[in-house]
Amino acid sequence: MANSMNITLKVWRQAGPKAKGGFETYVVPEANPHMSFLELLDVLNEQLIKEGKEPVEFDHDCREGICGSCGVVIDGQAHGPQQRTACCQLHMRHYKDGDSIVIEPWRAEGFPIIKDLVVDRTSFDRIIAAGGYISANTGAAQDANSLPIAKADADLAMDFAACIGCGACVAACPNASASLFTAAKIAQLSLLPQGDPERKSRAIAMVDQMEQEGFGDCSNHTECEAVCPKGISVSAITKMRREYMKAVIG
Amino acid sequence: MSTVLDPKIPAGPLKDKWDTYKNGIKLVNPANKRKHTVLVVGTGLAGGSAAATLAELGYHVKSFCIQDSPRRAHSIAAQGGINAAKNYPNDGDTVWRLFYDTIKGGDYRSREANVHRLAQVSNNIIDQCVAQGVPFAREYGGLLDNRSFGGAQVSRTFYARGQTGQQLLLGAYQAMSRQIGKGNIEMFARQEMLDLVVVDGKARGIITRNLVTGEYERHFADAVLLCTGGYGNVYYLSTNAKNSNVAAAWRCHKRGAYFANPCFTQIHPTCIPVSGDYQSKLTLMSESLRNDGRVWVPKQVGDTRKPLDIPEDERDYYLERRYPSFGNLVPRDVASRNAKLATDEGRGVGETKLAVYLDFADSIKRLGRDVIEARYGNLFEMYERITGDDPYKMPMRIFPAVHYTMGGLWVDYELQSNVPGLFVLGEANFSDHGANRLGASALMQGLADGYFVIPYTLGNYIASNSFDKLTGLEAEFAEAEQSAKSRIEKVLSIKGTKTVTEYHRELGRIMWDEVGMSRTTDGLKKAINDITALREDFWQNVLVPGEPTTFNKNLEFALRVADFLELGELMARDALEREESCGGHFREEHQTPEGEARRDDDGFTHVSAWEFGENGHQLHKEKLDFDNVQLTTRSYK
Amino acid sequence: MSLSNVLRSPVGKKFVTGITGLGLVIFVLMHMIGNLSMFSGDDAYNEYAHFLASLGPLLYAVEAGLVLFFLFHAITGVRIWIGKRKARPQGYDMYRSAGSPSLQSSSSRSMAITGIILLVFTVFHLISFKFGPGGPGNGDPAYMTVIDGVEMRNLALLVREKFATTWYTLGYTAIMLLLVVHLRHGVWSALQSLGAMRPSITPAVYTIGGLLGLGIGLGFIAMPLALYLGWI
Repeated sequence: MANSMNITLKVWRQAGPKAKGGFETYVVPEANPHMSFLELLDVLNEQLIKEGKEPVEFDHDCREGICGSCGVVIDGQAHGPQQRTACCQLHMRHYKDGDSIVIEPWRAEGFPIIKDLVVDRTSFDRIIAAGGYISANTGAAQDANSLPIAKADADLAMDFAACIGCGACVAACPNASASLFTAAKIAQLSLLPQGDPERKSRAIAMVDQMEQEGFGDCSNHTECEAVCPKGISVSAITKMRREYMKAVIG
Repeated sequence: MSTVLDPKIPAGPLKDKWDTYKNGIKLVNPANKRKHTVLVVGTGLAGGSAAATLAELGYHVKSFCIQDSPRRAHSIAAQGGINAAKNYPNDGDTVWRLFYDTIKGGDYRSREANVHRLAQVSNNIIDQCVAQGVPFAREYGGLLDNRSFGGAQVSRTFYARGQTGQQLLLGAYQAMSRQIGKGNIEMFARQEMLDLVVVDGKARGIITRNLVTGEYERHFADAVLLCTGGYGNVYYLSTNAKNSNVAAAWRCHKRGAYFANPCFTQIHPTCIPVSGDYQSKLTLMSESLRNDGRVWVPKQVGDTRKPLDIPEDERDYYLERRYPSFGNLVPRDVASRNAKLATDEGRGVGETKLAVYLDFADSIKRLGRDVIEARYGNLFEMYERITGDDPYKMPMRIFPAVHYTMGGLWVDYELQSNVPGLFVLGEANFSDHGANRLGASALMQGLADGYFVIPYTLGNYIASNSFDKLTGLEAEFAEAEQSAKSRIEKVLSIKGTKTVTEYHRELGRIMWDEVGMSRTTDGLKKAINDITALREDFWQNVLVPGEPTTFNKNLEFALRVADFLELGELMARDALEREESCGGHFREEHQTPEGEARRDDDGFTHVSAWEFGENGHQLHKEKLDFDNVQLTTRSYK
Repeated sequence: MSLSNVLRSPVGKKFVTGITGLGLVIFVLMHMIGNLSMFSGDDAYNEYAHFLASLGPLLYAVEAGLVLFFLFHAITGVRIWIGKRKARPQGYDMYRSAGSPSLQSSSSRSMAITGIILLVFTVFHLISFKFGPGGPGNGDPAYMTVIDGVEMRNLALLVREKFATTWYTLGYTAIMLLLVVHLRHGVWSALQSLGAMRPSITPAVYTIGGLLGLGIGLGFIAMPLALYLGWI
């Protein structure tokens, strides 16, 4: 293939949750500018398997930037250098022949490492289970158009709802805070009339759960917004704070 | 045969069948529901909505998914929208029309009663999703917006930007999460179903493997719901997620469940073309692009000029030429096949010559860049990210890719397979889309099955049967676990020379070439031979690294590919057996002189349901009766 | 929910740092403006100090409030800092900001350090000046003066003495630059923590906050520097 690139990868390897990890360096001699970053890891893994070594484990699924499965820190940036792009959609044309790339897993107490670059993000599920829903049993719904919602509110709710739950916000946050993830859901549901009856209990329960999962507090670095593949605004966090304070005050 | 394949369609007029059914079923005492455990495998639209709803009703639900969270199922990637016969735009839509379009779109190879029920409950789905906080697109007046999709004559598609699947899935996921929080659903993430356990002829449990620790688990229940999606990844390259697989359905098949219409696959016309050997998957570009994009190739074979250098009169807008009334909006199967024809003739474009242009220049000139950006901005951005080309300046290059599989496990009207207690929902079953699925109807079916059908039909099954208490220590569980274990030990012990991906890629090439967009007797026979040989080689020479007791994605993939190697052969066989062209199944022997598909309604108005046997598959047929619609030839001329 | 639970929650903690932070910003702003009275002469400065001292109970109330604000601000800040260390026990080998819209900066990352230094400085600053010669419980007659028949503390003299020393002036200047660094992130962050921000005004508020911090810092530096250089 034309334009083949020689890429050096320094990858975090860790055999298991309790094992001591460390970096290994590998060379992929025939990377291609059109391949995605995960395809580069695929090529590396095929190479490792043929050499009788264990492939590098990483989470991935849809590879079109929507499932939120993938996510690694590439040269110090969650999902790599291109903003609004999950690493499955990052393409090697952003690199050049001879480049060296450091790959690390998300690092946070709330995301324990399972193996290599794979982390456990079930903490996010528990935050949603604490209150990130509208209690509407199947069958109980009224006609969908009986409750108009201003287009601006619906659009804004959609902006917040776009979260893919990848965890980049936590990974990039200097405090390993899960505020953007938690806030995006609180903000979405608080903008919709359907979410109104539970808005107080939701804000309190989700914020509490976030803390219990061992995430840090938000110090307003706003790094989360910069790395979010969906570009979710930190105004969600502002909204979460207002919702929470309103809920506890009365 | 017909006694085995009784679809159990309720009597009476089509429009009353679902009500008739609901009026006649047995109910489970509310106080007893929590004593009944239901296993739900898969957490996509079908599985998520089923698990949530059954837990709300009071059943004890155990839910399983292979991803790290139930929110990641591949339903999340659906872009376009979800159909419903709400008729909010007042443009003449009715339940009947949605039913009719779906039946016709499926080329008359689906069941009338199922499809009509689907159209009926479509409206409830929208209500339910809005109540859950799904942020559908709205108009300035605050009411829901609709758009026309996939060439439908009415605007019945509800959407949430280009992320409808994501929003619907998150709605179901959040409903599930609520029940998980309440303790009504036990969630098992990163757990893969390895086998179905059948006790006394009823599906009573599953064997799973913990994908983190490699431990085996036995789960027993009164019913098993399989909501594991489609098998498009048999082609290696498809728009499916990398983890999408047929394994759970195939295991059920090998335990007795019939596999219906396996050859019915949907090749979606607008995907980003393959760029090289390393390609791991294909990305769909929403079909809505065809509303404003014009499809063309150079008239001249082997034209290597850049698209902008090719003058207007040397371009062939082949869809507009061949189908003047539908033009670029012909159904997916027609659009895909025509792209293949153009590239087969040597008129393909781009480096690989396996692509056609989708050109927005005229629309940009007519409507302005702003309008096009408002409609498709996110898609254009995605295209540029992947290809590095700017579609505002250069026509997009697109090519068909495997997208959806209409075939699946055979189910009756109650979504129950021929194995009692095994219910199959969503894409994993075969029931509603016939030989071709229309746009925006997969989401509809997944949610219809999970929210509005299974709560009734499962209840009827549970109330009508008695269940012996199980402990998980029964011989059937031990046998199933042992067979799963031996299979894993075997695949790890081969230590051959070829990787799982190499086998998968090779299988994909055979499937795409011979069981793809157009199929021939010789090609299908060749495919069967090649797949058989490849499968034998796999079990002699595959190289699976790592341990069974840790996180080992290659091991997961190896088992899934092993199942694809069996399924692929059955697909070819089914395609060979079906001597007609219908929907996504195009047999070159069966076409009109103009090259259009020719159905054989006398010979093939049936569902082909395959029974697994140690000595090969046996075919059963379920005759499809059309009492309400006239079978016509689809024409988009 | 009890108040202490609220104040310990992730949102509550930020609310506390935000409110107290804003209070302290107002305090340092007033303090800085007061300092500038030195430019009008020693008497003006001493009269201003005397005016504050003569407020009596009101001053004690304000001082008590200030102490509380300092303590709450510092303790909560340190708790957040400890929490962040716990939330990422193992750091990255390589870490880089993704750039705008991120507002991460050396300033935002050093809040705990600059904050602690400022706190320690404040204690010494109080010992030096408030409780220095002529101050409460330390009525050194050498540091008293009479202006318009009123006897008062000659704080200006003390200030002049302190800032005659090179190391003291330099040290003070360095600390005030740290205050600028602290406020560059602090002002905006406090407003964001209180839920007062919107994306449309964030860049402007961030810039204004930074400029305010810079203004306060330079204002503090101006007087000692002028004294040291003999301008006043």
